[in-house]
Amino acid sequence: MATEVKTKNKIHPQKMYLYVGLGSIVMMFAGLTSAYIVKKSQSNWLDFELPKVFFIATVVILLSSFTMQMAVKKAKEGLQNPYRGFLTVTAILGVAFMTLQYQGFMALQANNIALTGARSNSAASFLFVITFLHLLHVLGGVIALFGVRFKSLSAKNNTENTLPVELVSTYWHFVDILWIYLFVFLQWIG
Amino acid sequence: MSLILSVAIIVFIFVVIFQIAKASEYVSILKGEEASRQQNNKINGFLMVAFLVLGFVGIYVCNKAYYGKTQLAQGAASVQGEKVDEMLFVTLIITGIVFVITQVLLFWFAYKYQEDKNRKVFFFAHSTKLELIWTAIPAIALTVLVVFGLRNWFFFTGEPPKGAMVVEVTGKQFGWIFRYPGKDAVFGKKYYKNIDPATNSVGIVWDDTYSKDDILLEQTMYVVKGTPVKLILGSRDVIHDVGLTHFRLKMDAVPGIPTTMWFTPLYTTKEMREKTGNPNFAYEISCDQMCGNGHYSMKGVIEVVDQEEYDLWMAKQKPQYFTAFPEKDPTAVPVAAADTTAKVATAKM
Amino acid sequence: MSHEAALHNHEGHESHGHDDHGHHEHHDTFLTKYVFSQDHKMIAKQFLITGMVWAVLGGLMSVLFRLQLGYPDASFPWLESILGKWAKGGQITPEAYYALVTTHGTVLVFFVLTAGLSGTFANFLIPLQVGARDMASPFMNMLSYWFFFTASIIMLSSLFVETGPFSGGWTAYPPLSALHDASPGSKTGMDLWIISMALFVVSSLLGGLNYIATILNMRTKGMSMTRLPLTIWALFFTAVLGVLSFPVLLSGLILLIFDRNFGTSFYLSDIYVNGVGALSNEGGSAILFQHLFWFLGHPEVYIILLPAMGMVSEIMSVNSRKPIFGYMAMLGSLFAIAILAFLVWAHHMFVTGLNPFLGSVFVLLTLLIAVPSAIKVFNWLTTLWRGNIRFTPGMLFAIGFVSLFISGGLTGIWLGNAALDIYLHDSYFVVAHFHIVMGVASMFGMFAGVYHWFPKMYGRYLNNSLGYIHFWITLAGAYLIFWPMHYQGLAGMPRRYFDFSIWESFKQFADLNRFISTVAMIVFAVQILFLINFFYSIFKGRKVTVLNPWESNTLEWTTPINPGHGNWPGEIPEVHRWPYDYGKDGHDFIPQTTPVGEDETETH
Repeated sequence: MATEVKTKNKIHPQKMYLYVGLGSIVMMFAGLTSAYIVKKSQSNWLDFELPKVFFIATVVILLSSFTMQMAVKKAKEGLQNPYRGFLTVTAILGVAFMTLQYQGFMALQANNIALTGARSNSAASFLFVITFLHLLHVLGGVIALFGVRFKSLSAKNNTENTLPVELVSTYWHFVDILWIYLFVFLQWIG
Repeated sequence: MSLILSVAIIVFIFVVIFQIAKASEYVSILKGEEASRQQNNKINGFLMVAFLVLGFVGIYVCNKAYYGKTQLAQGAASVQGEKVDEMLFVTLIITGIVFVITQVLLFWFAYKYQEDKNRKVFFFAHSTKLELIWTAIPAIALTVLVVFGLRNWFFFTGEPPKGAMVVEVTGKQFGWIFRYPGKDAVFGKKYYKNIDPATNSVGIVWDDTYSKDDILLEQTMYVVKGTPVKLILGSRDVIHDVGLTHFRLKMDAVPGIPTTMWFTPLYTTKEMREKTGNPNFAYEISCDQMCGNGHYSMKGVIEVVDQEEYDLWMAKQKPQYFTAFPEKDPTAVPVAAADTTAKVATAKM
Repeated sequence: MSHEAALHNHEGHESHGHDDHGHHEHHDTFLTKYVFSQDHKMIAKQFLITGMVWAVLGGLMSVLFRLQLGYPDASFPWLESILGKWAKGGQITPEAYYALVTTHGTVLVFFVLTAGLSGTFANFLIPLQVGARDMASPFMNMLSYWFFFTASIIMLSSLFVETGPFSGGWTAYPPLSALHDASPGSKTGMDLWIISMALFVVSSLLGGLNYIATILNMRTKGMSMTRLPLTIWALFFTAVLGVLSFPVLLSGLILLIFDRNFGTSFYLSDIYVNGVGALSNEGGSAILFQHLFWFLGHPEVYIILLPAMGMVSEIMSVNSRKPIFGYMAMLGSLFAIAILAFLVWAHHMFVTGLNPFLGSVFVLLTLLIAVPSAIKVFNWLTTLWRGNIRFTPGMLFAIGFVSLFISGGLTGIWLGNAALDIYLHDSYFVVAHFHIVMGVASMFGMFAGVYHWFPKMYGRYLNNSLGYIHFWITLAGAYLIFWPMHYQGLAGMPRRYFDFSIWESFKQFADLNRFISTVAMIVFAVQILFLINFFYSIFKGRKVTVLNPWESNTLEWTTPINPGHGNWPGEIPEVHRWPYDYGKDGHDFIPQTTPVGEDETETH
């Protein structure tokens, strides 16, 4: 090793920052889903069906990943208007997802499955906490989308720098995949 | 007033130390980098050895003063406890040897290899052989400790022998409740929503036939010397812990999740009073899990007695059912409202 | 601005034209330079000073509760004037005692030894020692400090709440922490504690992510991973530990918030509270919280310990004028400790009634972690052997660290053996163990770092004589305080007890408690001396006049005496060797930037 050693900096540092951050988020949900599994194996666990509206929400968020990916593609091609369009649609789909989730909570309450409070069962409480936390992360993603969207409007916008939208896109795909995992988990194991 | 004086004195001492330190910094600047470093090295090098020596003196003095106050000096009062003490000694010896060797080397090297104009350092960056040796030796020592330890662990946490008596212990803020199963040797069911602090402190379900002879006590429980006793632990509110110092055992008492622990006491309380020379000796139960502002005041007592004393004591205990429903108590004499000559016989404990 | 700076780093070295004030693209105002700084060196100092403030507060708290333990029958009228209703009649009340003990633990473990230790040195050293101009994301770095600051304000505010701060022990076990009625300290104070901790977790994550990204992606040319100083490796593993374990604590705290305020039953079951009655919660498990808590809690102690270990390795090598012995073994043992740290958490739960087989697995893994720790100790000893030692205050604290780590680490072996832990759990033996191995040892690592890198931080030296006094009194004092505590533990004396007078089994240590309390106050006073030295020397300390006052090999000493934004005014230096060529081929030291000579013996 007497000669020069090249250092490889293949991934942009801020992308690395994001990836490791996503690892952190995974750990939080891992803690919650492990707790869920342990709790389920104990007594007093209510089995119930997930309301249909959660299925629809899943489809919506999958769609939003597609539009997100399109936004990145247009950004890389330098096509500003389609880029902004896809950003907007993705954000709208994100808000739609959050609304549908909320409706899911209401549906459960309507079926007499209390999420919190004296009559609640841990099964429902866990579902609520896990899904609600995921929803908060989606909200964060929506805010980031708006941020990138408004940045793209400013005169000083550097159209060649696609790093911000790539970062948001990675984050967005992550919350999508995370939801798929949680949804399958709650459906199958719950 | 004395507070202000004390603070003033401390501030004064600080100022003095500070000025001396500043002055010595000027002196060292004048003396030059090399010379002042040499002097500092000499002083600190000496202090390294001095600290080592004084340190071991301190260890000796501390041991002399306080070993006698530990439980080790007293000896364990249970079968399990004797194994614990044995393990404590073995661990002490193994870790003690390591402690002495490493601390001596540390402070001795620091002293011996202090900076010297004539010293040439030995550029020694690695040695796989050494690393393997001092990986293997600790690994072996630790394996010994693990084997020893796990044997005991499985013994302590395993099932008690047949014929063990069973007592249920419930912790609450801030005290202990004991339940004996009574003559039928089975505990009645309990449900926490039935708790009534006055008559049913653990929520016994009275409909259960096994409940009718359960005995409830607070503060003091009785066990028999030489007879294994299994404790079933629970809590009414927060997590507590049944700490049995003399028996070398403890176990958390968790609301909603029963835990168990068992032991065989070796000496009666009376015998321990003689053995320790302390007439106030008692097998105290200490709460060993933070449970609120009264955590330090949750004292319980285990009376270890021989079989006859225990039988006598048990015979005097009245099932809680009769305290909850005094009208059902056959030993109580009913009180006639207008008959003032009738004796009110309340059950004596 | 921030990601442009990162981009510049990513593309290699670009020279910026710099004036004295820093980056050519913006002028610093007081706010942007000292308050909302995005410069890693300034952020490091912010962490350090905030950490010091908490160290004083937390230390003061310990003086107060030791006052109760040392002098349980005395009354101090001045106490009542400071604490008011918490010290009626001049005696600390049980409520106040438990609040002090809880806050002391929380604040020292998290705010001082995590934020104050990692936050300071990771921020200060990583870009300087890997050869980067700043962190991967200076903006997130700034946020990481301000989240910590906000968490501090909220924790501070909890001290002034009517019902008092949280008082259930820093471990915050439910149901005590979940039930408003179980203790006054479990009311508003607990909600504030949780919010503060949640913000603290965010702060730690934002910082840790930066440390990892910067170390992996922004090293200068020639700085391969195995040429990194051990300080950086230690900080790297620390960040990985934090990034993976803090989120689990967060999940546990979220469930706790729900149990406290939304009637859920994650941790609660079968509860009857005095004066309130039976609660409706059924089916919860209080032990669940302990699993989630200790999944962070155990890595947390290594998050506290590893940076100290890394700095000690560095400082010992520099001041022995010898390479650190066994670089790869040191690296490997850091790695082993980091992995094992995730696998031993339940050794804090041996007496919760867990499955004995599970318990035995944790015994094995726990005693396993003693092996890499032992290797490190032997390597430090060998580093000293046949060296040429300079006793700078930094070096003294490094040596003190090793002594304390030996002492505290060995008692860990007692506790890790479950059958012994049954007896020693929740006794003063545990208190002695963790104070020596974590409290004092890591604190010594922190002091070593401060004394060693102060010249780089402020361009001045700390006063040497005060440093020596600080070291010797603190070392002796710490041992005088915590060594005898092992005996109290062996007597079965429980921890977190306000008073021992009603206990026939535990009241024999009145004299010792008084002794310990007295020494504790002296040791605390000496720390104040250190703080005076620190703040005085920032402004009036002896000025540093040479670039490399310790004659060290690492990159931070190739920057100007007072480095500005971007650290190096010209190009970032290129690295040709590992950092430990001290005493090689007869040379006293060979900096990392020195190219390898033709007739040099084999290098790393």
